[in-house]
Amino acid sequence: MQLKRTMSIGVLVLVMALVLSACAGIAPQAAAPTGEQAAAGETTTITWAFWGSPEEAASHKMVADAFMAEHPEIQIEIWNQPWDDYFTKIQALWASGDTKVIPDVAFLWPTPRYAAEGVLENLDPYIEASGYDLNDYWPGLLESAKYQGSVYGFPRDIEVNVIYYNKDMFDAAGVAYPSNDWTWDDFLAAAEKLTQKDANGVTTVYALAAEGGKWAKWVNQNGGAILDDYVNPSKCMLTDPASVAGIQFFADLMNNGYAMRDADLSQAGGDAAVFMSGQAAMILQNTSRVSAFNAAGMNYDVAPAPIPAGGKRWNGAGGAAWVMSSGSDNKDAAWTFLQWLQSAGGGETLYTERGEIFPALQSVANSPAFMTDQPPANKEAIITEAAASDVGGFGYFPEWDELSGSIIEPGLQTVWAGEADAASAVAAICAQADQFLADNGYPK
Amino acid sequence: MASHASSRRPFRWRPDQQWEGYLFILPSFAGFLIFIVLAVAMSLGISFSDWGLTGFKSFAGLRNYQQLLRDPLFWQASTNTVFYIVTIVPMQLALGLVMAVGLNQAIRGVTVYRLIYFMPVVTTIVAGAIVFRLLLATNGPVNSLLTTLTGALGVPFSAPNWLGSSQFSKWSVVILTLWKNTGFTMVVYLAALQGVPKELYDAAHTDGANAWQRFRHVTLPLISPTTFFLFIFQMIGAFQLFTEPFVMTRGGPANSSLSVVQYIYLAAFRDIRMDKAAAMAWMLFIVIFAFTLFQNFMQKRWVYYESE
Repeated sequence: MQLKRTMSIGVLVLVMALVLSACAGIAPQAAAPTGEQAAAGETTTITWAFWGSPEEAASHKMVADAFMAEHPEIQIEIWNQPWDDYFTKIQALWASGDTKVIPDVAFLWPTPRYAAEGVLENLDPYIEASGYDLNDYWPGLLESAKYQGSVYGFPRDIEVNVIYYNKDMFDAAGVAYPSNDWTWDDFLAAAEKLTQKDANGVTTVYALAAEGGKWAKWVNQNGGAILDDYVNPSKCMLTDPASVAGIQFFADLMNNGYAMRDADLSQAGGDAAVFMSGQAAMILQNTSRVSAFNAAGMNYDVAPAPIPAGGKRWNGAGGAAWVMSSGSDNKDAAWTFLQWLQSAGGGETLYTERGEIFPALQSVANSPAFMTDQPPANKEAIITEAAASDVGGFGYFPEWDELSGSIIEPGLQTVWAGEADAASAVAAICAQADQFLADNGYPK
Repeated sequence: MASHASSRRPFRWRPDQQWEGYLFILPSFAGFLIFIVLAVAMSLGISFSDWGLTGFKSFAGLRNYQQLLRDPLFWQASTNTVFYIVTIVPMQLALGLVMAVGLNQAIRGVTVYRLIYFMPVVTTIVAGAIVFRLLLATNGPVNSLLTTLTGALGVPFSAPNWLGSSQFSKWSVVILTLWKNTGFTMVVYLAALQGVPKELYDAAHTDGANAWQRFRHVTLPLISPTTFFLFIFQMIGAFQLFTEPFVMTRGGPANSSLSVVQYIYLAAFRDIRMDKAAAMAWMLFIVIFAFTLFQNFMQKRWVYYESE
């Protein structure tokens, strides 16, 4: 009995010792970066967080190396997570409040949501002190990274949605290539000729494949709007006749079999897949598809989106932004890096040269970094759309993602599925949206 | 069973007990305290606060709960979840029982069949979902089969858009869940069926009971404790459905397949409304708890324990 007791205590001590040593094993590793920093003397280490696939991470790594070559006094430590994990993990880091683990510079969307939580640094004082030029950004773009009038982030790129068209399919259907000022009517005429249907009237080849989420372009082109104010909204504007007509235009493309329904498109693998396989003659998408189409050797070009008679050209100004944590313990080094990332000759040029982005800075878009001899030939189309960038695609208040993700987009999905017409769907959406805004205390 | 429960005394220190025992459970008990008890208590506190990414902002009282009761999407997610419960639970029990009875016979290759039916349980759900997304695509194999069948029978039929229409999206989640989990039900039922004494069947046979009567009056009552366990277990599982709609439809279209737990996830990590998410989690807990208590109370009417 006594022996058993002694043995059991012995085992227990052993277990405790193992547990403790396991804990102790972690501690020195966590402390390592500060140790290295002290040894190297004046180098500062900043953590740089971004999401992305291994290929995207390789681009970021190249950019970090280029920066460190120019600024040997700053070391960049990379924190990379896949898109699906990135936000939950970075939220956990910020929530911990531990300056050792909080990334100094991070890639983020949507900026106002996080600025409202107080985890982001207000960049206004740094911009003022260093004379950083904000006028080089595309119009309206910085709005997406502002909160209460202050800049909290720098959008790395701008989403410019253009029409990609398959030249071979246009030739086969005997349709002239789109001009830079084509209209909705021109588009419909082309779509009718490009669409192929079987004996039962089921479309086999679509004129257009466009994600349902691209609808705001049609609404804004037609003079419609989502909200009356995108910073401090008081009401939903989708019931406005111009908005309804914009949504119905898109819906009718699907209802008439010219455009793929949103759900079918995602089942078919997305717009790049159906464009490359010849299931759709055109897609409406941002510039991220260029490298894939070039790699596949497709015979394609781009055109500005068609606009309605009496309408205006419009591109939603938005893009994920680089931000600085308010909990950063190396803010000066972080600012040096941020500024370099967002400068011609720095990160912007490098990303653009690699075909990774369409730059947020106009000077870089008009430089050889973008104006290459690679396809698409009609790069002017992209510049034209980018110059028409404006607010109107989304709200710049913290609750926007919830409003959009829970009410607006799900409500419109019934239209894209052909289950409701635009007018009845937006009536329901606006009733809910107005209630949502009131519940959250808008207008403030 | 009941007599066992009543003879059990609440926790009490007895001098003859060895204290080292408690030291041995200390590591896991400390883990339980920190990661379960503390986390649960925290979430209750968060649900009564205004709580963002960085923590406590102010005390909110019942505001989060009141907001939820007014939130149409919360009600939609709740309705969807009720739909999942009333479809998945009975279908899973019935299918599992039918499969178990079938595979409880002396047929050639029965082990292979049991293996096949159990395989989905150990298959990664994401892989399963990808296959089902292809199967249920608008012009996929399932719709081709249905079109051919109804065409042969001369029945008018238009192929459903399983994943892309709000009428059918919930069904595609139900189909995936049944495929994934029915094998588990089957295995548990199989074990229960093999525990039914042969003498009872012999006696019933002697009394002139036919196969259906033997099943209805011998098998069903004797496996009712298993049915009760599976019923509670699967109902809780259906209340907490997350992965299946998440990987199958992402809750869409138009939130038509969004489950409550998925909405909790969105509130916490998309909208950064930890307070709202915590309030929802507690409401879900209360509903599940109440249902389980109710079932526990009701079991006297239909569950038969041999020891009684």
